[in-house]
Parts: sequence; C-alpha cells; structure tokens
Amino acid sequence: MSGVTPSVATESERHPVDAALAARLAAIVGDRRVLFRPGELLAYSSDGLPGYLKQPSIAVFPGTRDEVIAVVRELARAGAPFVPRGAGTGLSGGALADGVVLLGLNRLSRILSIDAENAIAVVEPGVVNVALSRAVSAHGLHYAPDPSSQAACTIGGNVAENAGGPHCLKYGVTLNHVVALTVALPNGEVVTLGNAAGENDGYDLVGAFVGSEGCFGVALDVTVRLARNPQAVRTLLADFHSIDAGARAVSAIIASGLLPAALEMMDAGTIRAVEASIYAAGYPTDAAAVLLVELDGPIAGLDADVATVVRHCRDAGARDVRVARDEAERTKLWQGRKKAFGAMGRISSHLVVQDAVVPRTKLPQMLARVHDIAERYRVTVCNVFHAGDGNLHPNIGYDANDPDESARVHAAMREIMQACVDAGGTITGEHGVGIDKLPYMGAIFSEESLSAMCALREVFDPDRRANPGKVVPMHSCREWQMAPAARTGQH
Amino acid sequence: MRSGIDACVHCGFCLQSCPTYLTLEDENDSPRGRVLLMRSALEGTLAIDDPSLETHIDRCLGCRACETACPSGVPYGHLLEATRATMAEHRRLPFVARLILWTFARPASLTIAMALSRLLRATRIPVLLSRLKGRLGFAMAMLASTERSGMHGAYVARGDATRGTVAVLLGCVMEGLLGGANRATERTLVVNGYSLVDAPGQRCCGALHAHAGDLRGARELARANIVAFEGADSQFICVNAAGCGAMMKEYAHLLADEPEFAERAARVSARVRDVSELLVAAGPVAGATPVDATVTYDAPCHLLHAQRIADPPIAVLRAIPGLRLVPLAGAEHCCGAAGIYNLVEPDTSNAVLAPKLENIRATGAELVATGNPGCLMQIGAGLRRASIESRAVHPVELLDASYRSTARGAR
Amino acid sequence: MAPASLAELRESIRDAIARRCPLRVVSRGSWLDANRPVHADTRLEVGAYAGIVEYEPGDLTLTARAGTTLHEIARATSANGQWLALDPLGDPSRATLGATIATGSYGPLAHHFGTPRDMTLGVEFVSGTGDVVRGGGRVVKNVAGFDLTRLVTGAWGSLGVLTEATVRLRALPSVEATLLIDIGSATAELERARTALRGLPFVPLAVQLVDAAARQALGVAGGRDAFIVRLGGNEEAVRAQREQLRGIGEAHDVDTEIWRRARVAEPAGAAVVRLSRLPSRFAATWQDAERIAERWPGGQLHGDPGRGVVRVVLPVDGNVLDASLRAALEIPFDGTRIYERLPRALWPALAPTAMHGAIDRGVKAAFDPHYLLNPGIFGELQ
Repeated sequence: MSGVTPSVATESERHPVDAALAARLAAIVGDRRVLFRPGELLAYSSDGLPGYLKQPSIAVFPGTRDEVIAVVRELARAGAPFVPRGAGTGLSGGALADGVVLLGLNRLSRILSIDAENAIAVVEPGVVNVALSRAVSAHGLHYAPDPSSQAACTIGGNVAENAGGPHCLKYGVTLNHVVALTVALPNGEVVTLGNAAGENDGYDLVGAFVGSEGCFGVALDVTVRLARNPQAVRTLLADFHSIDAGARAVSAIIASGLLPAALEMMDAGTIRAVEASIYAAGYPTDAAAVLLVELDGPIAGLDADVATVVRHCRDAGARDVRVARDEAERTKLWQGRKKAFGAMGRISSHLVVQDAVVPRTKLPQMLARVHDIAERYRVTVCNVFHAGDGNLHPNIGYDANDPDESARVHAAMREIMQACVDAGGTITGEHGVGIDKLPYMGAIFSEESLSAMCALREVFDPDRRANPGKVVPMHSCREWQMAPAARTGQH
Repeated sequence: MRSGIDACVHCGFCLQSCPTYLTLEDENDSPRGRVLLMRSALEGTLAIDDPSLETHIDRCLGCRACETACPSGVPYGHLLEATRATMAEHRRLPFVARLILWTFARPASLTIAMALSRLLRATRIPVLLSRLKGRLGFAMAMLASTERSGMHGAYVARGDATRGTVAVLLGCVMEGLLGGANRATERTLVVNGYSLVDAPGQRCCGALHAHAGDLRGARELARANIVAFEGADSQFICVNAAGCGAMMKEYAHLLADEPEFAERAARVSARVRDVSELLVAAGPVAGATPVDATVTYDAPCHLLHAQRIADPPIAVLRAIPGLRLVPLAGAEHCCGAAGIYNLVEPDTSNAVLAPKLENIRATGAELVATGNPGCLMQIGAGLRRASIESRAVHPVELLDASYRSTARGAR
Repeated sequence: MAPASLAELRESIRDAIARRCPLRVVSRGSWLDANRPVHADTRLEVGAYAGIVEYEPGDLTLTARAGTTLHEIARATSANGQWLALDPLGDPSRATLGATIATGSYGPLAHHFGTPRDMTLGVEFVSGTGDVVRGGGRVVKNVAGFDLTRLVTGAWGSLGVLTEATVRLRALPSVEATLLIDIGSATAELERARTALRGLPFVPLAVQLVDAAARQALGVAGGRDAFIVRLGGNEEAVRAQREQLRGIGEAHDVDTEIWRRARVAEPAGAAVVRLSRLPSRFAATWQDAERIAERWPGGQLHGDPGRGVVRVVLPVDGNVLDASLRAALEIPFDGTRIYERLPRALWPALAPTAMHGAIDRGVKAAFDPHYLLNPGIFGELQ
C-alpha cells in the first residue's frame, strides 16, 4: 500500500540470513562486497521512494561483468530470489528487497565504448546517466533521456524503469534510445537482445526488456543511441496568476503542434521549496504557477517558434515570459526544476509522490480536480511535472506520525489516481509500478492483460525470482496457458 | 537532530558528490546511507556501538560536499558532529587522534609541537623520508611540503586603511608551519585597505575537536576565542584556513545552548570572513609584479561546501598578473585531508587523493592553489610522493608575491 | 472467418483454439504477396474491424481499430493539420494500422520519426490463448506494466491478433520541400555526401539514396545515384535548410508527390531484401546492395543513410528460376540481411527463422501455446 509508515523490521521478522549463500557469494566478489550485518543493510533498505523500508537478507556487489554472471548463477543454483539495484533513486520502490538478496550493480560503471560517428555508446549498467552525457559531450553528443535524478541514477536503472525526464517530450524515453542489450537471465544464461549494428528482426525483446523493472534479468551492458547537441537552445520561464492559466497555456502549445524540447510546470508550493533551497533558480515566489519551456534545434526558425510559445503563454494570461539570457541562467532554471522533488524534504517529514499521466487536453480540468480533492481532504499538494507529456507529479507532504493526516493523504492520493484513470490516463508515466503502484494496476488493466504480462515475465524468469512481487499483482499470475474456458472466473 | 534527519527524502542526489562513496562504492559510505545509520541510532534500532555505525561514520571525511548537492537542505555536517559526539561518549578515539586533539587544545604543547616540527623540517629529514611507504612517509611528505624557501620576500605593505579593521586568526598549523602564508595574509590585507588589530589570547579554533566528536573540547576553545576576538573589537575576523573559518562561522551553532555565550558567539561568527572574501570586497588590488606560472585551483571543502565560497579565491588568482589559471577537473571533490582523517584513515584518504593527483597532473600546472592547511599538506605530500612537478600554495601567497614591488613603488 | 466485432473475433479465436485450427490472419491482404510461409488453411479476416475510435486533436493521439487504413487516418488528421508520420511502402488505402504495426513497417519518414515501435502508445489484441489483452494506453507516456505493445509490434500477428491501437501524431510541417541532389557513383562521392548530410544542423524528414533504376521508377530519371531529401518546418527553417543543402551538391526541387509515388512505385511481387550495417558503413552497404542489383534485371535500390539500411528490390515474374534469384540474393554480406518479400519456395532457404533463441520460442509459446496464429510466419515450426 502506498505510503506505509516507515519502520525497521525487527530481528525476529527478518528472514534468516543464508550464511552459506553469503559465503559462496563472497568467494565470487570478495568479503567486502557481501553485506549481511543488519546495520550495513540499512543503507539498502530504501530507494528514492519515501515511506518504505524493506531490508534485504544479503546485499552483494559484483565489480565486473563476469562477477555478475557468477553471482546470478550462484543465486540460480540456490534458488534465491533477488532484486537488482542501481543507484537506488527510483520512486516506485522497485529496488526494495524484502528479505531477499539485493544485487547492486553500481560498481559496473565503465563506459565500454563510444562510437561518435554512429552516435552510439556501450555502457555498463552502473554508469551514471549524466556521466554518459559528460563523456560524450566532446563529440557534440548527449544522452537524451534526462530523469530529474540524472546526476545520480544509473543507465541500468533507467533501462529497468524505462525512465523519462523533461526532454523526453521531444526526444523520447529510454525505450527509444536503447539499441541492444546483453542480459544475464535469472537462470544465469547470457543472451544478447537487439542488434547494435543493423536492423532487428524477430520479436522486439529490447522493447520488452526496457521497462521490465528488473523482473526479466540483469543488464550486463547496454548499447544506447546518443543524440546530437542542438545548434541552439531557448529556455523560457512564464509565470501565471493561476494554475488553470498555466495549464491552458500548456494545452494550447501542444495543440499548436509545436514540439518543445521540454515543457514543465511547477506550482506555488514547489516554487517556494525550490527557492528556499541551494538550487534557488529565481522563480517568482508570488506566482501561482510557472512554466519552463525549452525549444531547441537549428537556429533558423527557432525564434519564430519562441514567439509562438510566448504568444500562447500571454493569451492564456501569463504575467511575464522571459527567455534565459545565457547558459548560466539556463542551467540555473533547470537545476531548480530537477531538484524540486528533493527540495520537498524542506516542507515536511514525509512525502508521497505520484506519476499519473492524463491526456494533454485534460490538464486544466485535472489540475482543478486535484486542487478540489486536496481541499476536501485538507492536504497540501505540490505539483511539479512534465506538463507537455501530461505527466503529473503531485507530491503531498505530511507527518506520518499523525494517523489522521496520514489517512487523509492516502485517501486523497487514491482519489487523484482514480480521477486520472477516469480521464483516460495511466497510473505511471516514468517512475514504474514497483510496489507503490501495484494496487492500482487493476484499475487500468483487466485480469486477462495482467495475466498476459505475467506470462511474458515467466518466459524470462519461470521461477519468478527476479524482483519478486513487483509490477504485476501476484494473484494475476495464475495459470495462463490453460484454455480460457478452463480458467476460473473466466466469462 | 530529528528534523535534520527527517529532511532527508533519500533521493540519492548526494551519492555522486560523496568522495567516500565514489571511492568505496558502498552506500554505507554515502551521505544517504550514513543518515540512515544516524536515524537508526537515534531511534535506538541500532546500538551506538554497532560496528557498522562506527566503521562508516568514522570513514566520513566530513567534507560536506553532500550539503551543496542536497535539495532538502539536510544539515549533514551538524548531524555528523552530533553523532560523533554521541559515539565519543561510548568509546575512546584512536591514540593518534587523542594525541593530536590533546596537543592542539593546549597552547604550550602546541607551541612545542610546532617548534619541533619546524626543527625537524629544517633537518631535511622529512624530504628524505617522504618516499617511505605508509603513514610515517606521508606525514614526512606533509611536513616537507610546508617548506617555503625563497618564496616570500618581505616588503613593507602600505594601504589607505579605509576598509575597516581586521583581526587575523593565526591558527595552529598555519602559524606553526605555514607562517609565511600568515604574513602574506597580513600584508595583502593591508595593501587592500584594511588595518590590522591584534587578538591576543586566541587559540586553536576547535574544528579538529568538533569533527572528531569532542564537542566539549571544541566549545572550550570556542569560548576562549570569543573572548579573545571580543577583545580585539575589530570589524572583521579574517581566517585564511577554510576549516577554521567554517568552524568559527559555526560558533553560534556550537554554543547555541549556552546562555552566557550563545549571543556572543553569534556576534563573533557574524564577523568572520575568509581572507578571499575580504580581498574580493576590496578589489582585490591588482599586483604589479608578474608571477610567471601556470596555476590550478582546488576548492577546500570547508570553503566551497561549508562556507559556500566558490568564486572569491579565483578572483584573487585572477588579480595576479602573468599567472595562467587552468581549470581542475573535480576541483569540488575532497582531497582526502579532512583534518586528521589522513592520519586515522590513511587507506581511504589515499584512495580519495589519487584521482585528485591525476587530475592535477593532467592540468600540467606547476602550482595548485588552495586555501586550507590540511589540503595544502595533503596535496603537497601527494604531489611529492607521486613525483608530480607541482607545488601546493595558498592563493594569498601568490597575490602577495605579485605585490612585492607594488608596495615599494606605487604607494 | 470475418468477425465484425471484438466479441466475435475473440469467439473465432477461441473456437479455433478449441478445434486446434491454425489461422492465417489477414487484414486487407497487402502483405500476402510477401509469400511468408504460413501453415494455415483457414483465414481470419480482420480488415473489416475498422474505424477511428477516439481522436482528440489537442492530444495529438489517435485510437483506431486495426482495420482502419492509413489513408483514412491521414484524411482525419490532415483536417487538423496533423499526421501519423508513418509512410510504409504500399498503397495507403490498403495498408491498415493493424498490419503496419504488426509488421513493423515503415517508410522514408523513419529517418526523422522512427518506426511503429516509436509511435505506438498502446494496443489491444486477442492472444493465441483467446484473451483480450491491452498493453500500454492512450497517453503519450506510460510505463505501467510490462511492454506488451513493443512485443506485438513487428511480431507479424504471431502472438495475437491486433484489434486496436493508439498512436502518437505530429503536426504537419507548415512548409515542405523535396530536393534532389545528384551525386557521382564513386564510393568516395557517396561517402562525402553522406558525411555532409550527417553534419547538417537539422534532421530532414526523410533522406533516401536512390539508384538510377529507382529514379526511373519515381519519375526523376537520371544516370547517377541521387539523394532525395524531404524538408519540413516553418518557413524560415525550410529556407535555411535549403541553403544548407546546397553545400552538399547541386540540389533541385522535385514535387513532394514523389513520396506518395514511392509508396506505390514498386513492382508487384518483387523480391525484397533489406541490408543494414552501422550508418558509418553505409557506402559499403550500398556497394553490396549494388552487387545484388547488378545481377538482376530491373533491380532497384534505395536506402536511408541515417539508419544504415539499403532496400534491394528485384522484380520477379512467373518465369524466374528460384535458384538464380537465390544466387543473386546470397552474395557474401557481413551485415544484417532481412527479407521482406520472396517467392514462397525461397523463404525456408533464405530466412529459415527469425526465432533466434529460447526467449523467442518462449514468447511464442506463452502467447500462442497451440501455434495457431500465423504459424511459420517467422520461419519457426513446431
């Protein structure tokens, strides 16, 4: 369930550590790289999602590809379930290991090759997103998917979650940038998915693997497509008296057919949190909402597009629209946006965050709806989101030690989620299902669809040992291959 | 402490800023992991003498780079000091640490220790032993790196005394081993229009004690310094050691619970400036003697992350004619000195230092400017042991060199 | 069988499962002449299950039943200044959305916009277990659940029968232009032009290298290879793009209609193979393709340097000896060779299977456990 009060499992609740397994793993990776003392597992008992603490039984950290394969094979021999983890910045609890082995991939952080001519790179899963962009910048290239956690998150984690980010509006999500993968299946077999050097025929297994949230195996290397740096970039900040006006500007810009590189919105609560932080960006603290719009591409024609965006913002009632004068100002505007989630820690001790997506024409009414729901439950919602994609991130800060407030927060969140689903949206646009969105899967997928997803998972992992209990509710993973009529509950 | 810990939403943005995480690749050695350890210790789910807690809290450099990465404003430095203080109530620090803290807390013993060190330095024995493997060799290299033969030619500094009065914190290592840099500080302040005031009775700032969890020792030193600098009654208190400056700016926090001192501490803290801040506020006056050298700048953590001072030292270097300033990759990362860390956690310290040295080597600069004695000695020793043709100097020493003729002639 | 509703379609499939009757899934039949070896006598006709289900222009998304033709979609969207930026070869009034996604078909626009994989947001299909399954959704960003959308895209109906799909639309460029740039036939010349194109500060909507035979078929005859470049954007952008193209070679305007002609210019029943390597080796891939075309009367080539793909089209009439065609196609080539259309007898020989490993077979077994949906279409056999 969403937002359970954090608690550390007591000793008796923990699964008994398999000392023999820990010893065998240590024989592969070295003593230092196998953790099983409760005190040292604490650091691995949460990821970026607030509200949950789940302790692994063992945490193991291979340092090379061969070690990963050996570890996965050892886990397969032992029949041990495991949870792959990158930097632990995910926001759906996908990297939480509840009494099972945690397989850390952060040490596999080498960029194996950069092919600037073909704009591709081969990286290990633990390479930090921004480190890749930095490494290829000398070639005038960058890695386009830029989740807000890009300074910390890993490419392997991005692949698992099919991560997005502000610039995915124009450039596409992780899926659109992964060409091929080498994967250790949960049984230890190593397979290559996709074709790095030409077209792919057969099933799109790269497409299936990207976004599989660690349930299909462990990526050993990822071949990614790099994007060329645009010739010019224009970053605009528009501020509004009301959230509704901002939302209408978003809808108008999208409907105009312009494709900004990014189109982000922040409301007053978020603006204040950011402006109080070390990443203060100079957002107007008296605005009800700001839009951060970026247009990029060839210089020719760009300013005409900028003018169109400015016009749509003004028509919707923007108080002011300014264009960043230089790279420094641009960076500052973006840093504020990207660190907004982290800055929420300033507002309150606990936080729930959602990731629903709605059709872009529904943004104004949906934001009004969120506002109504928040008011009704007397909770404070901070909105900071990828408006151009219709990808909402309502954050509600609260005090988990106040049972009444906690109950109101969670009820409000459920209602917001339902409203987004009712508007034709989805429950997660980029954070993944993990354990946090698991209860909502039934709201958007039929039992038949969920069973089909289970069937796909079992192709990769028949024993369901990789990231057990995530993404698809277990009860959906019933006998799929029987004829429909033979299944219970089938109409 | 509770609210500080609660501000952490474990977003993980701190991971890549943390030198020990980057080096050791274990989240237990990251800010987020350590905050979780602290939280558990505070809540009682982890014993205060749990070896996991001790290992990973001890291994923290205290560089506070995580603070300048943290969107939530987790006061990591304060949390660390508080945790170490709690831990210190339950165990004894390693002998080396206790010896150093004892020595620095007592003016007489400090004077003797520094005099002996200078004597040893003069024998050239440190130079000979600086290549020895292990802690002794490193310590000798640190000492050898403080030598400044022929660098400082004294001149009579003159200024228009229009910028206010300044009392200089002389510091322990700065005055003991890098006295030349202190004199350079005084001269450059004068050239830039400040008038100097003595602050007799000043002691060690207490930073080493506070970072090691000896808050009682730190407070005692802080009180002594407050009295001394109240007596000096200068407009500013100038500190040229980043770690000491950070400490003095936090006296208000350190003594917040002492009714007699809380407000006085706040007033003293408010007067503290890094030397680069004072110089930049005055220009700084451009030097007249060209310094023909290539220099790169490494930011001391307690200047950049604790005091959030990024640009002034660079502005100081830019005021020096002839000096070629080249950027240093990873300048924002700790060098591994971290007070006495390099003596009590030598392996991690060396591992943190290694990429720093490589980055310096890559710049090809013959000088590395950095404004903190610990960093000067750590980097200086590392350069010497790695046979890199580069020397660590205080930015003010270079500015001072460019002022030599200014003082004699122009004014 | 030609079910008219989803319920009927599902029943048809369940009935086939009960009777273990293999099905050849057919929409409007434009891919039948690819002659893929499907071992089924019964046709499941799904082309009539058509119609746009939801189209809200402001969302730039469109949901349509699988039998909806690309022509119909183009008509609805162009009225709002939008398009589904997908131009697979073949008559748009016969190409359906379902078949395009199922076959992963794309055309020259893939240079800029990618393939069906990149623009399909969600699908509904009836699996070989008789279940109505949905993957993805109707919004532009979605990571809920495992990606069944990508799984059935390009699966040639072997995992399920597509019934509905949601696709991402784009705004039609306000100005378009198409330019033809003659280049010499020397490899160095081609490489120079390719590098120059790659260095442009913009990505054209489409870039096709065509050989003399393909030029002939497109009505822009000329003795040499040529790049045909499709430009789009606002007025100022296109003006600048034209200028920048001039640096590559002598460019002259051709009617933008050429792109529509390209979709229908291909001789019916031709054998088609796509050769691909990394884009940096495009000139070499083009040479290899030329070696195939040279061995075959009427052979044509066109390729996308940005994607590193060259398409070789060899006209085939009834009198052709399979053996000689095979000899032409089977030149040594160290890249990836994907066959699109072949005489029936050549499929097993040239493309025995696209099921490369246990996972492919496992996927097939999971979604079509009785091997009833287009069995053999990937060359696989039970």
